[in-house]
Amino acid sequence: MLLEISDLSKRFGGIRALRGVDLTLGGGEVKCIIGPNGCGKSTLFNILTGVLRPDEGKVIFDGQRIDGLAAHKISRLGIGRKFQVPGILSELTVLENIEVASTARATLGGLWSTLFSGGDGSVYRRHLMDADLWKYADQPASELPHGIKQRLEILMLVARGSRLLLLDEPTAGMTASETNATIQLINEINAETGAAILVIEHDMSFVRSIGRPVAAMIRGRIVREGDYDDIQADPEVRSAYLGERA
Amino acid sequence: MTRLGLYTTIIFWLAMAMLPLVVRPWDLVMFSQLLIYGIAAMSLALIWGQGGLLCFGQALFFGVGAYVMALTGKGLIPGIAASAWLGLGLATLSGALVALLAGFALFFGQALRGPYFGIVTIAAAVIVERFATNWRYIGGYNGLLDIEPLSFALIWPGLDSAEPLAGYLTALLAAFAVFLLLNALVRSPFGTVLRGLRADEQRVASLGYSVGLWKTIAFCIGGGTAALSGALFAVQFSFVSPAVIGFAMSTEILIWAAVGGKEVLLAAMAGAAVVKYFEAVLSDAIGHYYLLVIGIIFIVVVVALPRGLLGRLFELPRPQRLRADGISGHTQKHRERADAAAPMEPRQPAPGKQEDGT
Repeated sequence: MLLEISDLSKRFGGIRALRGVDLTLGGGEVKCIIGPNGCGKSTLFNILTGVLRPDEGKVIFDGQRIDGLAAHKISRLGIGRKFQVPGILSELTVLENIEVASTARATLGGLWSTLFSGGDGSVYRRHLMDADLWKYADQPASELPHGIKQRLEILMLVARGSRLLLLDEPTAGMTASETNATIQLINEINAETGAAILVIEHDMSFVRSIGRPVAAMIRGRIVREGDYDDIQADPEVRSAYLGERA
Repeated sequence: MTRLGLYTTIIFWLAMAMLPLVVRPWDLVMFSQLLIYGIAAMSLALIWGQGGLLCFGQALFFGVGAYVMALTGKGLIPGIAASAWLGLGLATLSGALVALLAGFALFFGQALRGPYFGIVTIAAAVIVERFATNWRYIGGYNGLLDIEPLSFALIWPGLDSAEPLAGYLTALLAAFAVFLLLNALVRSPFGTVLRGLRADEQRVASLGYSVGLWKTIAFCIGGGTAALSGALFAVQFSFVSPAVIGFAMSTEILIWAAVGGKEVLLAAMAGAAVVKYFEAVLSDAIGHYYLLVIGIIFIVVVVALPRGLLGRLFELPRPQRLRADGISGHTQKHRERADAAAPMEPRQPAPGKQEDGT
């Protein structure tokens, strides 16, 4: 297993955001986590990326325990996160954005070597062309259409060389065609780089279209895992997520 | 992308180099001062314009440089020989060291951000100014007089930087060297990451950078540069007083960089000259009210022209690797190599290679 999460708990004052989450993800696997707002999905990602420390439980990535490590160290181990709000560097051009990511990969965040090495530009050029971003190469990221921003951010994680991509609502605010393009991009990245991808979504149509294993999270716990049909049929999920009585 | 900035930059430095041919020695002295102020403006342009660290205490480093230069030149630092050249090196190092310590204090632990960082730097500048005013050994309120000039006896017997042409060429050489070094830094991937920090620190951290360390190093380079200009200032004026280390001087440096254009090194540098020149003209015309006019100009520029008066004029084209048209030209040969190395495979970081050790 690339990622093993066991019995993870996190409490904010009186609120128990996570109550013993167990989840695993194999190398090269793509999995979606669905759940209503406030179910603890973002807290889970914050712990996985070192923004928060868990109260209990542990996270093992590639055989190494990572809960409680600093954010930049976890990133260097190969976990990349796409934020819910596009986390691109808005004043920088598309190519500069990619360079910040590719430099982190080439130099592992070392200071001295960044003076001389920014990673191989031609590789990222291909990524940009594949994702239909090349025509924006010289534009400041703030001026990009919303869907393109989201795609740029995912590509930064690829340029960063992440082996596990955490995508936090990658299609939020997207049109149907942008959503489809993003699903295609996720599948391509997974096929080409072999990176494992964990997606948080609450858009059920996204989860259906991507057709990958799903974990349903409710009130800080994973209540059900399976494919889309299993999850949709589960009474507990229906009651919590779709607002139906069980 | 326009090449205007490249031409204006070349013209600027050529004009500076030709200046001694056309102006009188007395004016040369004034121009050397402007070049020295320009170095201080570039130091702030690096940390503020590139790194996004709005520092209200840049004169702290400028002043440390000026005092260390003065004290070393006069042989007042115990155990260190009186030497102006040694002073120049020591001054630069001291500024960098002070910035390094301040950086560790400010950017690690409960790291200070945005306005809090600015407020602390204001307070630091005010405190140090009081301190310098009350410390007798370094001259107290009166400061230090008769600072040793830099000697060029090796080139010509008896020649030193007090001679206008020699002084001007020293300042020009220093300014040009600082410009080339900082410009190389800004155009390297290091510079791109620095601008990334300005845009969104958290995002940059999540890509694997130790943000505190990067800010500290940028601060350190800016501090060393400001101290170098302070040292040259001390030599040029042959005089330092607590005014060079305090809040007023910090604000001046800030105004130069903002009015010129903080995101472009040469614009910030020329901004120092423009502001100082207008100050002189205005104070002749309207006396003390010139401060009011400068203040209004500053506010207007900050609000209406965030890139400054000269930012567009001196903005250099982006390096080739960061331009769409620049990459496509030589992609083909890179591509074969890149394909051979299977670049799409996410690489496992080698455990021993985490260089900065944080």
